Amino acid sequence: MSATTYLDALRRAMLEEMDRDPAVCVLGQDIAAFGGAFRATRGLYERFGRLRVVNTPLCESGALGAALGAALAGMRPVVELQFADFISCGFNQVVNNLAKTYYRWEAPVPVVLRLPYGGGVGAGPFHSQSPEAWFAHTPGLCVVAPATPRDALGMLKASIRDPNPVVFLEHRFLYRREKEELPDGEELLTPLGRARVARPGDHVTALSWGWTLHECVAAAEELARDGVSVEVIDLRTLVPLDEDAVFSAVRRTGKVLVVHEATATAGFGAELVARIADHCFEDLDGPLRRVTYPDRASPYAKSLEQSLLPGRARIAQELRRLARY
Amino acid sequence: MNEAPPLTPTLLRRAWFLARLSRAWDHRFESMARAGSIGRWYSAVGNECTTVGTALCLAPGDALSTVHRDLGAILATYLDIPRLAPEVFAPEERTAWDLRRPPPQELLHRLACQVLGRREGFTRGVDRSFHYGLLNDAWGIRHVGMISHLGAMLPVAAGLALASVQRSSGSVVLAFIGEGATSQGDFHEALNMAGVLKLPLVVVIENNRFAFTTPLEEQYACERLSSRAEGYGVAGETLDGTDLTAVVTAMERACTRARGGHGATLLECMLPRMRGHAEGDGSYELIPAEERARFLTMDPLPPLEALVKTSGAAEEPWLQRASELATTLVEAAVERALAAPEPEVREARRSMYAPGEVREASNRQASEAPR
Ligand SMILES: Cc1ncc(C[n+]2csc(CCOP(=O)(O)OP(=O)(O)O)c2C)c(N)n1
Repeated sequence: MSATTYLDALRRAMLEEMDRDPAVCVLGQDIAAFGGAFRATRGLYERFGRLRVVNTPLCESGALGAALGAALAGMRPVVELQFADFISCGFNQVVNNLAKTYYRWEAPVPVVLRLPYGGGVGAGPFHSQSPEAWFAHTPGLCVVAPATPRDALGMLKASIRDPNPVVFLEHRFLYRREKEELPDGEELLTPLGRARVARPGDHVTALSWGWTLHECVAAAEELARDGVSVEVIDLRTLVPLDEDAVFSAVRRTGKVLVVHEATATAGFGAELVARIADHCFEDLDGPLRRVTYPDRASPYAKSLEQSLLPGRARIAQELRRLARY
Repeated sequence: MNEAPPLTPTLLRRAWFLARLSRAWDHRFESMARAGSIGRWYSAVGNECTTVGTALCLAPGDALSTVHRDLGAILATYLDIPRLAPEVFAPEERTAWDLRRPPPQELLHRLACQVLGRREGFTRGVDRSFHYGLLNDAWGIRHVGMISHLGAMLPVAAGLALASVQRSSGSVVLAFIGEGATSQGDFHEALNMAGVLKLPLVVVIENNRFAFTTPLEEQYACERLSSRAEGYGVAGETLDGTDLTAVVTAMERACTRARGGHGATLLECMLPRMRGHAEGDGSYELIPAEERARFLTMDPLPPLEALVKTSGAAEEPWLQRASELATTLVEAAVERALAAPEPEVREARRSMYAPGEVREASNRQASEAPR
């Protein structure tokens, strides 16, 4: 067993998959000798060399398109975006090229896009966004957002092995803060498209992913002291959605709170409540509620950002309200 | 620059036949577009020496990235010509690559079905015209077609070239782009990457002097687009894209560079605009009449025919027979495709995901249940 941070887990996933399959390569900015802006690829260059750990110029569209080309020629590229925010510069390659190639002419596209995303560190409007909804809206992409080191490891490995483009959202606030004992020398794979019960409970269900998942667990612990039992589901994969897990949780408790760090309007939570309303209407004992970031950009000053982030206090308040129905 | 060595008679005959096939195909689809029986047709008339000449320099396993006026390159890459036209080609003219290629009539049929949106097309009705790819290692064919977003395929072509380096496959990538799309950011990003990473990529700009209706002076302010090559640290030259010898010579030089690990080349091929943007869209009429007349005199086929004759590669009766045969073959392929079945409706709902865990998870969603 080793104490493994979320960041270590990502590195371990890439290392193990690159060891296992010579087609796996990593592309990105400053990822070779430097190991990337967050050091996620540290050591890979020394081990696998410049043909498999490829520094690209500062060109998101170029690198994302090149990943598609390399994949069509037999490679399995993992593209590291320096920050998720910068993927907008390569948007077309993601939503039109990577996402639609398989549907159009049935060529598999084994490409993973690693997106360090999310706020909480006072990084301002362009280094804090949670862009999952942009990609969830585009058929053909798999969108995942692990919350724990174990899933960061297991889901990155599974994403690298899948023959489809995966938008892999790694929450950078969790990089060094989340730590877990993980067994060494054992293959840890997390299936894609399967949610996980992060905390069992009976009265209310909270659905979340990423950083807010941990806030939900903290809020659930607080409510437990008052005798309210909250079940927290970690969706882990947003697209395709594990509807079985979501609907059966809703049917059990009848009360649902959806929590995400992304902004509210047309956020992924809207999709979740729509599907729940569609399939579980008769099982509901309360309104479908959301706790999200408000429809604002991310302000820079920490005090400003903290005032907008959907943290445990707001989540606990909403959970209490729901429990009273 | 060295004096170009003469092209072999076999290459000349094949190039000429491919150019005629491409031209016959355009004529057939132009007339259907005029009759309103197909939606749109983007003609490649005038581009044949560039598309055919460059693609004939490829070897099995090399990759081809095409856009909307590159039928000649597709035909050159796909077709076992002596087998398609045994009346005018000797069996000895089959190359080692030809022997690996599938029956040419079948590929022509699938291509016609693809363009017409039929079931037996490469996308089975899901995408239009040349918007598809064909990857088949056994056939030595690695073709990646376009998406509508012009310029977007150039980074993809750079990625194909990157994989060639990563896998030490020695393969070259030939990628086409119109001069209009060179204004896109992807053009810059791809060529810059190709320069920095020394990729075995040949980018061919088909400069037909108009992007839809926008003339050159409203597209870029430099003299020659090939001068941009210097800025990317790649080789570059501008040439007459209607001159097969010039095209083949430049392309061979570019392939040698690429295979030798010396990096990418940007070839700007100057072409006449012999048609409008799309057949019957009114854009042709915007070109001043005297320019239109000048472009028609720049048709690449007459000089190619003259070259074939003067080099002794073929004589008039052969040219006559081969020309008729090209038209007949295209006619037969199009007629067969027109009679071929429409796509199956279930194709519209086929999965967005390749088989695996993600597809299985996708299929479990209620919205995916059969209707
Ligand atoms: C990104 C993008 N913008 C606009 C268009 C619409 N469009 C289709 S073809 C064309 C002109 C292309 O010119 P050029 O690249 O020179 O190719 P040509 O048609 O002249 O061969 C335009 C503007 C497009 N397909 N893609």
